[in-house]
Amino acid sequence: MADERDDARETRASLPLSIPSGDQTVWADASPLIAAACNDLQDGELVHGENFSLFAAMSALEIMDPKMDAGIESNGYRSVDEAIENGTAPLPLSSDSTVDVQCVIDIMDHLLACEATWHKGHSLAQTVFSCIYLLKIERTSAHVLLHSYCRIIRATCNAVISTVSDARTHEEEDLFTMAYGLPLKGEGDDKCLSILNSVEETISRQLRACKALNYKKKVLEDIDPLQANPDLEDGYCRALLCRIRFRKHFYHVLMCMRKSQGRGLELARKHIALCLSELSSIAKSQEFLRSNVCVSHQDDVEEGTTASGCQPVGFDASLNSRYSAPTPPRAIQILSWKRAIEYFEKLLHDLDIICSFSLEPMLEDVLHFVVQFQESQPDLVARAHLQLLLVQDGKLYGRDFFYDVISKAIALPSFARDPEFQKNEFVVQLIQLVVNLLKILCTNAAWQRRKLGKILQDWSLFSIQLELALKREFGDMLKALVDENVCLKVSKHLLTWAEEQTYWIAARFLMLGFKLELYSPNEYCMVYWYLYIILMRLLDKMQVRLSNRGDSRKKGKKKRDVSKDLTRDMIVSSPSCLLLKCYLSLSEGLAMMLAALHNESKVFEMPNVFNNEQERFIQHFELLQKAHVPDQISYFLFKESTKHALIPIIIKHNYFREAQRVSTSLKGSFSSDPQRMQELRQIEQVAEHNKIALNVINKVGTRDPSLIVSFEFTHHPVFAVAVVKRS
Amino acid sequence: MEGFSESTSALQNPQDFHSDRPGASHSAANNNSPLVAQLQKLLFHRMLIGVNDGRFFLGVFHCIDKQGNIILQDAVEYRNTRRSATSPMDQRCLGLILIPASCRSSCHVDCSIEEQLSLLSLQK
Repeated sequence: MADERDDARETRASLPLSIPSGDQTVWADASPLIAAACNDLQDGELVHGENFSLFAAMSALEIMDPKMDAGIESNGYRSVDEAIENGTAPLPLSSDSTVDVQCVIDIMDHLLACEATWHKGHSLAQTVFSCIYLLKIERTSAHVLLHSYCRIIRATCNAVISTVSDARTHEEEDLFTMAYGLPLKGEGDDKCLSILNSVEETISRQLRACKALNYKKKVLEDIDPLQANPDLEDGYCRALLCRIRFRKHFYHVLMCMRKSQGRGLELARKHIALCLSELSSIAKSQEFLRSNVCVSHQDDVEEGTTASGCQPVGFDASLNSRYSAPTPPRAIQILSWKRAIEYFEKLLHDLDIICSFSLEPMLEDVLHFVVQFQESQPDLVARAHLQLLLVQDGKLYGRDFFYDVISKAIALPSFARDPEFQKNEFVVQLIQLVVNLLKILCTNAAWQRRKLGKILQDWSLFSIQLELALKREFGDMLKALVDENVCLKVSKHLLTWAEEQTYWIAARFLMLGFKLELYSPNEYCMVYWYLYIILMRLLDKMQVRLSNRGDSRKKGKKKRDVSKDLTRDMIVSSPSCLLLKCYLSLSEGLAMMLAALHNESKVFEMPNVFNNEQERFIQHFELLQKAHVPDQISYFLFKESTKHALIPIIIKHNYFREAQRVSTSLKGSFSSDPQRMQELRQIEQVAEHNKIALNVINKVGTRDPSLIVSFEFTHHPVFAVAVVKRS
Repeated sequence: MEGFSESTSALQNPQDFHSDRPGASHSAANNNSPLVAQLQKLLFHRMLIGVNDGRFFLGVFHCIDKQGNIILQDAVEYRNTRRSATSPMDQRCLGLILIPASCRSSCHVDCSIEEQLSLLSLQK
């Protein structure tokens, strides 16, 4: 019996005291029973309760599996405190004040690299919060320089997270806002700017004092130098100043951009310009910083995360890896310091584009702007800012009611703007569709395409319902009344406009496929053909809308004598219609050219290994077909309309010549818009190259076995150029 | 994992469950060993398992296979914040976990005094 008691005591000692057993119960050693009972079990037999499910059991985290168990013993420290006690993040960083400043600059640089890496889609815990000083920010309060920098970094991270999570553009990049267990919020961060300002003030006085000393002038104010070595004082003061000022202005940029109704955009632009100039000073400081390092610790200076090339003090990503998720995070590579600066330059340029947007109230211009903005592939943070600017408090720029925006786009007569009509269920639904569309257009290309494909259904459903309602409510009335009912008229305009947007979305969906490289060359033919069909419908709806607008204008001015032909001309020659015509000719030309090549020489024949052409047609256009965009389009229609295509016929049709002609005529109307002029030039080049290629193919003859035709996107991201070679 | 390759472990190779091999896996409810019956009674008790690297896992006893691999439900991980054993402990919720027998160094169940006595009687 005494033995047993000893055993029990021994067991108790090996157990952690902080884990109590229940009331009236004890921790009893079960190992002997388990060993004995397992012996009695058959192979494959399990002891489990009734709620056991093997499927659920399969998702259990396996302890001690390096890929699943984040808590597994890494040879590092077990906690931040232990790491600090062992001197991994000393304060001050060195007893030598010069070395101390050097080390602080390295930390600043590495944090910049971490921040850029975070923006690029890695977790906060593995990047910015791998900094031990940041994890225990209160510790640094005696070291004002480091403390102020850590505070502004934390405040900036908070601002960025709130922007991204408000915009919800991060759905596809959800690592971004994960911050479990990290000390992200702290008291006094609202004062971070004033602390930073006073540090900046001190250093600039130190710089002034050092200059005065250099010119052998009497020092006006009595101030301690930044560090001990007078020869390096100037360089270090400057290196610190540009880094601190960059943080200050960047924080201001983020704050200004969040002001409601775009009120801070002008000021934000000023701060962006200052940020960019400080960034270039940071880049220039590298020469000085590197010249003062005796040994280069980072092997590859170009890949280093600091300007000096030294390894920064006080970073350990393994310390908080347990917080981010139950499973260990994947190893990541922090961007180099050079790449980080490049990233921030791009981010600031992207933000500048947003800030310089004129906040047009015309939806067509807004859509054009967003699409144009996406061309430069902006990163998450910039896209989130754009989205928050566009949709604020359910209003465009937080300023214009979407009902007004839509009625302006449709050119609704002013008497349709009464509040009763705004409560109409169709109007409410349409507003929701437009808001969603704007938000989706701000997401990254891959996610955007997926979502666009899905909302097509909503848009087409909306059109169908509106059409049905129109028939139901106004069917009888039409016969009775000669004069059109206002409500009917407005609903008809709504319908046309909604259909036009649906085709616009479908066209964007198809075009994004080229940018994401989703189509293989032997599928180009069907994609261009489908695009051609969509663009034709889009043009059709656009012309109807413009003629509606023409009608209402005519009536407004009461000039009944204006001939209908004149209005017609005006519509046909409107720049947006003409630009659409260019795209139309290009896609038709490319579809037919590809079909002819296929028909005549069997190049671009679909290999039949995994799926045939019809299956691919369905795979690519399933979402469009489901949404009936457009109706009655099938693979057979595609085959039917392309099977007679031959090179000589296509040359006769001169699709590319037509595209060139129209784009030339457009130059006058777009002369003030450099981006659109660039687009016209691209269209012309695509048309020109394809025209020549067609002639060469015709001359050589498609049956010539040495003829090699390939398609490249060298001149336009969507419209390919045929490249003809002879082997 | 190497330790388990010798004999088939139902928990670590769950795909075996889907094979048509007779007797691939089944509940031990029909096993007539008194020891197995006693182990069965411990299901749903709180269980505290220590592993080789000094961590402890506290969770609800959910399942065990012949090789001694244990599944705990609603498990919490306890680990020392410093290398010394007396340092304060840090905890983290993990949910459903599988603890392979190879790394299990101790195993205790939360039970009444009477249950403990019957467990102790086994050791003799």
